Amino acid sequence: MSTSPPLGAQADAEPLAVRPAKGRPDPARTPGRRRARRVDALTAGFFMTPALLGFAVFVILPALGGLVLAFFDWDLFGTPEFVGLEHIQRLFTDPVMWQSLGVTAAFVLLGVIPTIAIGFVLAVVVNSNLPGVGVFRVLYFSPMVASAAVAAVIWVNLYRYRGGLINQVLGWLGITGPNWLSDPVWARPALVIMMIWSALPLVIILYLAGLQRVPEDIYSAAALDGAGKWRMLWSMTWPNVRSTTVLIAVLQAVSFISGSFEIALIMTNGGPLGTTQSLALYSYKMAFSQRDIGYASALSLFQLVLILLIVLGVRVLVQLRKERG
Amino acid sequence: MSKSLYIPFRYTLIVVCGFILAIPLLFMISGSLKSAQEIVAYPPPLLPETPIWQNFADAWSYLTPRVIANSFIFSLGVVGLQLVVSLPAAFALAKIPFKWSTGIMATLIVPMFVPGNLTLIPLFVVTFQLGWLNSFAGLIIPMAAQSAFAILLFRQFFVTLPPGLIEAARIDGAGWWRVFVSIALPLARPALATFVSISFLSAWNMYIWPQIVAPNPAQRVINVALAPLAGGENSIISPSVGLAGAVIAMIPVLTVFIVFQKWYIKGVVGTGLE
Repeated sequence: MSTSPPLGAQADAEPLAVRPAKGRPDPARTPGRRRARRVDALTAGFFMTPALLGFAVFVILPALGGLVLAFFDWDLFGTPEFVGLEHIQRLFTDPVMWQSLGVTAAFVLLGVIPTIAIGFVLAVVVNSNLPGVGVFRVLYFSPMVASAAVAAVIWVNLYRYRGGLINQVLGWLGITGPNWLSDPVWARPALVIMMIWSALPLVIILYLAGLQRVPEDIYSAAALDGAGKWRMLWSMTWPNVRSTTVLIAVLQAVSFISGSFEIALIMTNGGPLGTTQSLALYSYKMAFSQRDIGYASALSLFQLVLILLIVLGVRVLVQLRKERG
Repeated sequence: MSKSLYIPFRYTLIVVCGFILAIPLLFMISGSLKSAQEIVAYPPPLLPETPIWQNFADAWSYLTPRVIANSFIFSLGVVGLQLVVSLPAAFALAKIPFKWSTGIMATLIVPMFVPGNLTLIPLFVVTFQLGWLNSFAGLIIPMAAQSAFAILLFRQFFVTLPPGLIEAARIDGAGWWRVFVSIALPLARPALATFVSISFLSAWNMYIWPQIVAPNPAQRVINVALAPLAGGENSIISPSVGLAGAVIAMIPVLTVFIVFQKWYIKGVVGTGLE
């Protein structure tokens, strides 16, 4: 090939990747630069328009709308009527709201810590390079594939009073199991157990990723010092995945507050006696059974505040820990 | 523990824990093949005496092929529309130099921290105002528009493409669209595998959104049809038929999950750690 091929022929002459991009004489470049930049901006706009349009209408607009709706009375059909802080006041005087807040708190308190503990232990168990382990890992991830409806159909049968697998196993241990889903005491823990089961795969995946980043050599040093396996797990592995634990704690708190109401809606519809009706479910019913859009939005807003408080609380805790060294 | 015992011990532990986690799903499979008597028998038999395949025929006719087709239309619609919309946007944010790219990125990221269920009501209101209730448009478009995850995932990938590759093509006079279609897209296959598997799983498994937006038979999806079967003892349909329905509902997502497992997990880890 000649040293200076004609401009038009270049595109097909050589593979693109090997052509040097820098230092090529390009006389047309400097004057045209401003124009090129404007063309770039226009092209970028063209590339992004569909996505940004959808984002504006179905993400930004609802986000702002949710804030606004909480201050209006609206049944979805008439004209919305501005009521100021009425719904916010109603929040604090509504006994059902307080009960739902209690249920939400119970979900978080009963759910998050066991999810973290079990997830961590299972991740450590399955974090192994032994041949063939990969096949069994699928078992650990399998609950993730079950939708809320699928999980509900399964667990309703597991929890059946007579002939359910769980009461059967308890029977072998000499315990008479309760009528799980219709017992005001046991319905809540029953749902929490199910939610933990659904949440575990994600927790295990995140811990597995966290474990990959723990340097190997700290273990060999500790082994030389004669530390046992359990000791190493507690005093070396656990502190080294702390950032993962913080992330998981936040994710799980949020998901036990807002995400898991589908399961309660399908299985118990908030019953018996409102013992499984979380704030999220209460808000859902307000909106879609009572068509009280304004109050339902206030309930959602209240959950957002709770979540922000938790995130903020965790950040403060992490910061304090750092400062103490 | 001695070295020679450790490996068998570890294997046993891994397998036993895995099976304990998978018990509900194994129970589902076994129960879906039990007779109407066996599924409520006390004590419950572990396995059906003779597998009743009729349960699957009954579940199929209860769920109806229409519902299963709807589920595919909805899930593939969401995945496809998100791809069409978010790939070019992600490419522009990663590779085309322009002023507002950081601002746009921030706008995309912030709402991701608000759980979807909190914006459920206003999102429903918008869809309602558009007159899209009980339509595939209402089912698909508002969900496809939640594209921040897709855009960020693809952008993260496009950023890693060597700049020289794109500059060279540009200098040769290729327009941005050509660079995008013939250079960036063919290289994006791993990111595509990650996205398609995550997005398909989450769309297929959705319950609340289809339930409130399109519950009528013409658009009803499988999880909406299945949920009433969780009525337990009050249900008129045999629990084993319900479990067979659950198996049917899980087959597509389980297949996608097993095929794409590696990419799926990569995506989950990548977004979880940010």
